[in-house]
Amino acid sequence: MGDFLSNLSLGFGVALSLQNLGLAFLGCLVGTLIGVLPGVGPIATIAMLLPITFGLDPVGALIMLAGIYYGAQYGGSTTAILVNIPGEATSVVTALDGHQMARQGRAGVALGIAAIGSFFAGTVATLVIAALGAPLTGLALIFGPTEYFSLMVMGLVFAVVLARGSILKAVAMILTGVLLSTVGLDLETGEERMTFGLSFLSDGIDFAVLAMGIFGIAEIMRNLDHTEHRDVVRQAIGRLLPNRDDFKQSYKPVLRGTLIGAILGILPGNGAVLGPFASYTLEKKLAKDPRRFGRGAIEGVAGPESANNAGAQTSFIPLLTLGIPPNAVMALMVGAMTIHGIIPGPQVMTKNPTLFWGMIASMWVGNLMLLVINLPLVGMWVRLLKVPYRLLFPAILMFCCIGIYSINSLPTDVMFIALFGLVGYMLIKFGFEPAPMLLGFVLGKLMEENLRRSLILSRGSLETFVERPISAGLLAVAAILLVIALLPSIRKGRDEVFTE
Amino acid sequence: MSLAHEGSGPPRRGSVRAPQNLAGGLLLLALAALALWLTRDLDQGTLNAMGPAMLPRWLAVGVGLSGLALLVFSFVKEGELLERWSLRGPFFIILAILAFTVTIRGYSFGSFAIPGLGLLVSGPLAIVLGGYATPEARLRDLVILSLSLTPFCMVLFGDLLNLPIPVFPQALTGLFPVGWSQKAVLRACAAILAVAAVLVFVATRGRASTDAADRSGRI
Repeated sequence: MGDFLSNLSLGFGVALSLQNLGLAFLGCLVGTLIGVLPGVGPIATIAMLLPITFGLDPVGALIMLAGIYYGAQYGGSTTAILVNIPGEATSVVTALDGHQMARQGRAGVALGIAAIGSFFAGTVATLVIAALGAPLTGLALIFGPTEYFSLMVMGLVFAVVLARGSILKAVAMILTGVLLSTVGLDLETGEERMTFGLSFLSDGIDFAVLAMGIFGIAEIMRNLDHTEHRDVVRQAIGRLLPNRDDFKQSYKPVLRGTLIGAILGILPGNGAVLGPFASYTLEKKLAKDPRRFGRGAIEGVAGPESANNAGAQTSFIPLLTLGIPPNAVMALMVGAMTIHGIIPGPQVMTKNPTLFWGMIASMWVGNLMLLVINLPLVGMWVRLLKVPYRLLFPAILMFCCIGIYSINSLPTDVMFIALFGLVGYMLIKFGFEPAPMLLGFVLGKLMEENLRRSLILSRGSLETFVERPISAGLLAVAAILLVIALLPSIRKGRDEVFTE
Repeated sequence: MSLAHEGSGPPRRGSVRAPQNLAGGLLLLALAALALWLTRDLDQGTLNAMGPAMLPRWLAVGVGLSGLALLVFSFVKEGELLERWSLRGPFFIILAILAFTVTIRGYSFGSFAIPGLGLLVSGPLAIVLGGYATPEARLRDLVILSLSLTPFCMVLFGDLLNLPIPVFPQALTGLFPVGWSQKAVLRACAAILAVAAVLVFVATRGRASTDAADRSGRI
């Protein structure tokens, strides 16, 4: 307990310095600004804004990035409530009741409760991270390459189970992602693999480039296919602060949402995605009158938004303690950390405590900033959302180009976002979900490294994965999950959750 | 015989029941074939000492098998139709990105070379070309957008954030007084663009009011 407090106070000492406060503020502001644009989710936002943190010291850069992340998340919810265009999977649920509330002239309350719920969830999640950080780091020390490999297999299985649509397609996407990660120099022999003899491919495909192509450019192409139909709320935004009744109705959903989101967020394989869906389903089940849902029930905004934010934050845990990014956003964080010479993993906490605890404390600060920035600025976001898409997307396109060029100063990188954009567009058209592919790509390099190491240790025997107890346990969980997901009755339920 | 069989089934043309899955399957098979072909000369090694080709090859096999399964299912199980495709969007978006790529730092195709023109040229190029990806594009709006957004980005990325992005063609420095620093030239260029944006806006105002009539209906 004493450790817990002294660590937190160390963190707050770092996060509350004037410079870092300013960076957190700036990060939240630009994150929201970009994230609020329709069709731009957190992944594209972070990839776009990554270069603006290059000139900062590592602590400041990560604090600003975390701010950008929260800003982008919250910006997505704002778009979902005001225009009914969910920026990404996790705000789909918010759009259901949030937009209905907005149509009833209660947009302000919906945004307010989303911000307050998120802030509460963020506060709890920050404490969870601080409390779990140290013990989980200890866990990492007993993990060998075999366990790491099995853990990542389990993460990928999770991602398959959580993906929408056909399981076969999700598996194909994961395999494709891992396959893409093997492009470039072989780690051990130094031979070039699948590079077409192109020198800029010998370092492999840059993750930011792939992510920007798939989530930035492909998304623009997809949006252009639909003739524009955006119903920005015409009604007044209304008062922002929820009144007593609103609080009474929503404090329980916020508590439950926070709990669900925080637990799911820790799971490898992007468990955070499930949080809002799970919370919405639960609130609907518990409600006295479930028919209110979908017609502007405040619980349907409060619960999922809290779950969303709690999950977004606790998904830092696998990254900070085990060095395994559980989703694409965290993979971008890995990229940012490596640029500043920090290798994410259990050693960060011991070797670089100011960075570790500073970042955790700044998460809380970031959440507070969102509350402060967003509520007064709602009017500005509404005006921004009224700009027609035919003018927004060329601007988004240019920001994508500038952002990607600035990361490595390579024109070929910019060319590749066009290629991956086209590939991503085709995948969407063929009914594939690109998110699992990105996760496969993220974990691919780590998996190959650990697979090779464990096979060297076991002298080429694959049995090592089932002989070592922890590894066997992880693989068993993965197998059970996959079987359950394939059972016809569960599959039906899963489809219902996602189509609702 | 096959005709009679089709007649009893749901009203779909041909024997393909899920065109989307068919196309997806073919895409995966092509990808797998490409990966297998690219790794054909690499050593696979043994489990004890894995070679560079071991993992890519088995992954490619896995991707290929998934593709095959999708292909088979597309004849057996009902599935989604292919969505409507438009070529205009992807074409102009890709064109805009390529234009940005070749002008930002210069590019040479054999004997033909484009000098590095920097953000000053590649920014507006990307916006105007990209803007035509939608049939609703209006040249006037795109020109004003590009003339105002480009100086903003020049100042933000080049001046304030000091990112290593080429901002203007080096030949341009000759046009400014000798003593001017790079930053001064940058600011001057940005100011000129911004003024141009205002001029275009004011000069073509009359045309805008006729535009506004058909714009008011939708957002």
